[in-house]
Amino acid sequence: MPSLAETQARLSAAILKGDAAAVAPLLVGGRDPRARLVIHQRHYEASLVTALTTKFPATVWLIGDALFTVAARAFVRRHPPAAPCIAEYAEDFPGFIAAWPGADRAPYLGAVASADWLLGQAALAVDLPPLSIQALAGIEAEMLPDLELSLQMGLRYMHADWPVDELVKLHLDGNAPERYVLDPEEVWLEIRGVRGAFSLDRLAEPAYLFRRAVKSGSTIGAAAEAALAADPAFDAGAALGLLFAVGLVTSVNLPA
Amino acid sequence: MTGTSLTPRPTRAGVGLRLPHLAEVEATRPAAGWLEIHPENFIANPHAREMLQALAADYPISVHTVGVSIGSVGGIDQTHLKRVRALVDLIDPFQVSGHLAWSTHEGDYFNDLLPLPYDEETLRLLATHIDEVQDGLGRAYFVENPSSYVGFGQSTMTEVEFLSELVRRTGCRLLCDVSNIHVSSTNMGYDPIAYIDGLPHDAIGELHLGGFTIEADEGDPTTDVLIDTHAAPIAEEAWGLYAYALRRFGPKPTLIEWDNDLPPFATLLGEAARADRIVAEVFAPEARRAVAG
Repeated sequence: MPSLAETQARLSAAILKGDAAAVAPLLVGGRDPRARLVIHQRHYEASLVTALTTKFPATVWLIGDALFTVAARAFVRRHPPAAPCIAEYAEDFPGFIAAWPGADRAPYLGAVASADWLLGQAALAVDLPPLSIQALAGIEAEMLPDLELSLQMGLRYMHADWPVDELVKLHLDGNAPERYVLDPEEVWLEIRGVRGAFSLDRLAEPAYLFRRAVKSGSTIGAAAEAALAADPAFDAGAALGLLFAVGLVTSVNLPA
Repeated sequence: MTGTSLTPRPTRAGVGLRLPHLAEVEATRPAAGWLEIHPENFIANPHAREMLQALAADYPISVHTVGVSIGSVGGIDQTHLKRVRALVDLIDPFQVSGHLAWSTHEGDYFNDLLPLPYDEETLRLLATHIDEVQDGLGRAYFVENPSSYVGFGQSTMTEVEFLSELVRRTGCRLLCDVSNIHVSSTNMGYDPIAYIDGLPHDAIGELHLGGFTIEADEGDPTTDVLIDTHAAPIAEEAWGLYAYALRRFGPKPTLIEWDNDLPPFATLLGEAARADRIVAEVFAPEARRAVAG
């Protein structure tokens, strides 16, 4: 009689790899327990493929249900969830589908899937009361470069070599033309999500670099340097003021 | 294990609150006796959690875990358990439950409730894990009987014997899913009445009712297998077992589960109202006299 560890290893292989030969002799139930095991195998695949279909709606729209389902099935076999909160599952699906055979004919596919992922994650967020620029009053000017800011939790930043925002908007509008030519174009996108809704806006590259750096925890000084590297004329003071003006800043963190 | 909920236990039937119904329920506050949620749907979803917190002020809530995996040989995922505890602390549910099953192996999560052999090795493991979960949550954990399609030849005890021993060793409580008893007894060929009679009545703290789907058994196309899909109305056989369970266990918080192919929320309330009517019939004075006689 195998140990419980061995039993679970065998059943895991049956679920993930379809290899039921080792576990089948252990099972009882019905005339053919191996056929009953298919119920669990099917549930694993179907429940996660459904989750992916929900998370990547523009990608499904772009390549169609049939091709998406084939890719999603392969993904869930090779990349099972690592934790029970399925909302956090499949962050690496965009990279997977970008490398899918045939994806070279749609080189923007991975970027569209990335946009799907980021939009979905952003839309789960809530917003916190924003601070005004007055939050900086009383902080000496020479300390400003060392400040860190917390931005709204629903902010995401994405750079792509294709105008995926146009594709996403076509999908959301539901009125895609019969034929659409997509030419390569670098875009720097800011996604702002809150309570089930989201916006998707283009930024200029320096502003994108500044905001992305602030969002990821860089100091204001480091964020400004990243933007100035792209544009020596970048106005960091104005960019900082705009962060407050559009309600993105939720806390000001003084250096330790 | 210490601590109990300050939320009163409900007397009317409740319904499972799934994300597609959340905004409607938050906006309209329908007359549900109580709401049951899966914490895994809320832990990583701040927007949903915010709405749930508002609902917790108006409804008794039960937290029904689907990912704690008390049966995994790899142990309890402490990170996940702490996230469940944080949600529990936020909404103070009247109880917290999970499944007699396992769903993780070597870092992979199967999004399913997989079967266990019922023997001493499994019993020792689950007793240890239930102690960990109850300590981690700071309250009693209610363990639900599974829906089964297969079992293990190496089992040395029945499911009822296994559950009873778990209760004795850990002090955990039981969540009796009446529909699961119907599904499993049909699929595995045992007597559902004997199963209910065998459960430790004092440990039963909640009843579940959910719909199933009938398929031809691929291994024997002349027979059917019942799939616990929670995607259909509750079957008449399950309603009948529910009335029997009520007579054996007394009135308990009862949940209507519907997780897939969701109907309008009003349909769930209709099923809950039927459960309430059955409680009223079973515990009407004439019925009590008939049972006593």
